[in-house]
Amino acid sequence: MKNYFEINNVTFAASNKNKVENVSLKIENEGDVVCLLGPSGIGKTTILRTIAGLEKIKSGNIILNGKTISSGTIHIEPENRNISLSFQDNSLFPHYNIIDNIKFGAERNKRKTKKIHLDYVVEFLHLENIKFKYPHQISSGEGQRASLARSLLSMPNLLLLDEPLSNIDQNFKEEIQVKLKQILREYKITTIIVTHDSYEAFYLGSKCGIILDSQLKQYDDPYNLHHFPNSIEIVNFLNKGTLIPATVIDEKSLENKDLGLIEGDFIKHYPKGSKVKLLLQPEDLEHDDKSNLKLDVVDRKFRGTNFIYTLKTQSDLLIQVFVHSHHIHQHDINEKFGIKKPIHIDHIVCFD
Amino acid sequence: MIKKINIWYLSSLIISVVVAIPILVIFSSFFENTSEYRIILRETFLVDYIFNSLILLIGVMSLTSVIGIVCSYLISFYDFIGVNFFKWALILSFAIPAYIYSYSLSAFFENYGTAYSILKGIFGEANYNHYIPKPDGILGAIIALSFSIFGYVYVLTGLSFRYQSQNLIDLGKNLGFSKKKTFFKIILPAARPSIVAGLSLVAMETLSDFGSVSFFGVSTLTTGIYNAWITFDDLTLAYRLSFYLLIFIFGLLILENISRKKAQYHSPTKDSFEIKNKIKLFGYKSAFAFIFCFFIFFISFMFPLLQMGYWTYLFPKYLFELNLINLISNTLILVFFSCCLLITFGILSNYGNRITKSKFLQSLTTFSISGYAIPGVILAIAYISFISFLDENLLQSKNYNIKSLFIGTIFGLIIVYFIRFYSLANNGIKSGYLKINYSIDESAYLLGYSKIKTFNKIHLPYLKNSIFLVIILLLIEIVKELPITLIMRPFNFDTFATIAYAYASQDLLEAAAAPAIILILISSVFILITSRFILKDQT
Repeated sequence: MKNYFEINNVTFAASNKNKVENVSLKIENEGDVVCLLGPSGIGKTTILRTIAGLEKIKSGNIILNGKTISSGTIHIEPENRNISLSFQDNSLFPHYNIIDNIKFGAERNKRKTKKIHLDYVVEFLHLENIKFKYPHQISSGEGQRASLARSLLSMPNLLLLDEPLSNIDQNFKEEIQVKLKQILREYKITTIIVTHDSYEAFYLGSKCGIILDSQLKQYDDPYNLHHFPNSIEIVNFLNKGTLIPATVIDEKSLENKDLGLIEGDFIKHYPKGSKVKLLLQPEDLEHDDKSNLKLDVVDRKFRGTNFIYTLKTQSDLLIQVFVHSHHIHQHDINEKFGIKKPIHIDHIVCFD
Repeated sequence: MIKKINIWYLSSLIISVVVAIPILVIFSSFFENTSEYRIILRETFLVDYIFNSLILLIGVMSLTSVIGIVCSYLISFYDFIGVNFFKWALILSFAIPAYIYSYSLSAFFENYGTAYSILKGIFGEANYNHYIPKPDGILGAIIALSFSIFGYVYVLTGLSFRYQSQNLIDLGKNLGFSKKKTFFKIILPAARPSIVAGLSLVAMETLSDFGSVSFFGVSTLTTGIYNAWITFDDLTLAYRLSFYLLIFIFGLLILENISRKKAQYHSPTKDSFEIKNKIKLFGYKSAFAFIFCFFIFFISFMFPLLQMGYWTYLFPKYLFELNLINLISNTLILVFFSCCLLITFGILSNYGNRITKSKFLQSLTTFSISGYAIPGVILAIAYISFISFLDENLLQSKNYNIKSLFIGTIFGLIIVYFIRFYSLANNGIKSGYLKINYSIDESAYLLGYSKIKTFNKIHLPYLKNSIFLVIILLLIEIVKELPITLIMRPFNFDTFATIAYAYASQDLLEAAAAPAIILILISSVFILITSRFILKDQT
């Protein structure tokens, strides 16, 4: 099947230090949303700028809707790609007010049959009160929302968003995320979002790519990224689990000297007796006050719907456990915390 | 490299090369022989030239820094009677060219001059000439130059004072500094780059001044250059002297840069643009501030205006003798064509640099606009030699007489104006462009705008204030310009500046007053129009 968008073996380079090598990535369907995650300065923005045509490539190719837009020999100018990029620093035209800035986006979609209505975008991005203000009179978060509105209104063939919600207040952020997802789906706007917020990426993206050490390390759907990370670097980057040493007992279990037997289905075969690093995620462990497996509480975070306890094993390993916030007994720091035995994990992810 | 060459690249390159011609001609002098005048000069006047130039430089820089800094400090931080008036009135001094100030100074203090007439009118006949000071020679030149160009320090320092981070000043208060300590420890050091920028302009104007020093008969490097050319017909030596002059100016700038090291002076935060609460002055303090500012305003602007006005009133026949229509149309022609050329090419070069992002091109532009530091006299003669060189070596065999097209014509005059004022136009437009983040262009491209459409729809509306300001500044400069016009103008082609100079050089100061006062009034009107911009954020 023909993919809507493809990057084939492209090295994205803003400088010798800042580059992402040999990237291949596909977006199968029009309207899909893909998120790129990675630490700051890794080259995520360079990827967006290159796709937009603001940077050239030396080898490989980038194909949009069956047409090569960049390769070693072809470079379609940014103004002729119908790709919209919403910059992180918003880049609003300083001498036009906000509504006029947003209207610039509408100029491009004049001929399209299905259009996003200006008022709709202004309303859902809460821009009514700043419509007639100038860019220097608004906050950076408001600027980002206005820039997003302008990009959405242009109804591009490909929408590129560079940290689109990074400066937006937390109370607006979740609401905008929901509406943004709706609007992208409703108008089938294919989108690539660059972010460093994994929650945002996992919510908005049907697929996510993680860029580390100048490479696209893993490109998969959010569920798989979380549950089946393909390298220790991804585990460390997502920071949502702990790697603990364990010994493989048989095809269904392994053992850690502090936590005892751990059961589940291995996603990869390891011979009996292998020494591995097991990925233990907070949702893998279950609290049990009556269990004889007791660990010391070293930290407790209240997250509204749940507590996140950080526990220390006898070998000084730190592991995290979720507990429902209505659980009647709260454990203070230095108190003992019971873990249900034997530990059962749906899928066992290990690394050599 | 070849891929990069497009219309923008090529046009920027051509402009830079044209503007760089005088610098190249000056450099080329080192490959030619000079006359014996070089030996005579070295053994006789050269030390005098350098000494006088240094004294002039030190005197003017000292006086302008005191006047400029004190005025801008009072106006930026204090509220006293007339502060809002003085804020813009003090920049009117830009309307007075140093040579006209010199005429006024001489006319007022000379024997039986205006000062004598005033004293006689008040106290009756007496030998007042004996008591009236005579600020002529180097002292006269220092006073004339200082009061006509202190505005550079005043405007730039004032901008820095007004835009200084409030946090910085609050920090001083928080540390328990007195007002005096806050000024010397925080405010003044933070404004140092602006003060230095102002003083650099003052230094360049001083070293390249011709009208004032020649009127007072002071032998400086500039008059030496002129003499080498006119009296001894030794162009090569004139260029070499110019080169030393340039080195002298660049040396000052480099020294300052080194002394500054990597210290940062600006905190461009949003709150730095907040209007500070000025300290209200009362009683004698308010009176002192008022008197100081009024004195500077009076001496720098009102005095030459009144002096010229007084003589125009006394000798109205010189006013009626002026062919005003001819002078105005000449000025308008020069202003119109020069502005068209300078603005068009200033935009073209800036836009070319912006699009190509070529470091080579940017370096070339920076190099070529450094020609601003070359005195107008040198620019004109370097241009003439270049055209003569082309005519004699390359085109003579083909029977083209380009001299008659490029020398002694309005066309030639406009080209040298172009070279002289290109840095002003280029920098003025550049300062507008610097405020447009490059991602703004990229946003426009991504919204489907072509490069031309981006320029028309995004850049041009944003740059219009900068362009307007540049036009007015060019107008003021061209109206006042003297040495280039004197050398390059066609026969019988006069401007207000050349007419005033012609009379003054014949010792007919009373006749020079009429064109001088018209020149001052024209400049003043345009300075008032631009004052809003000059005092805001255009540097």
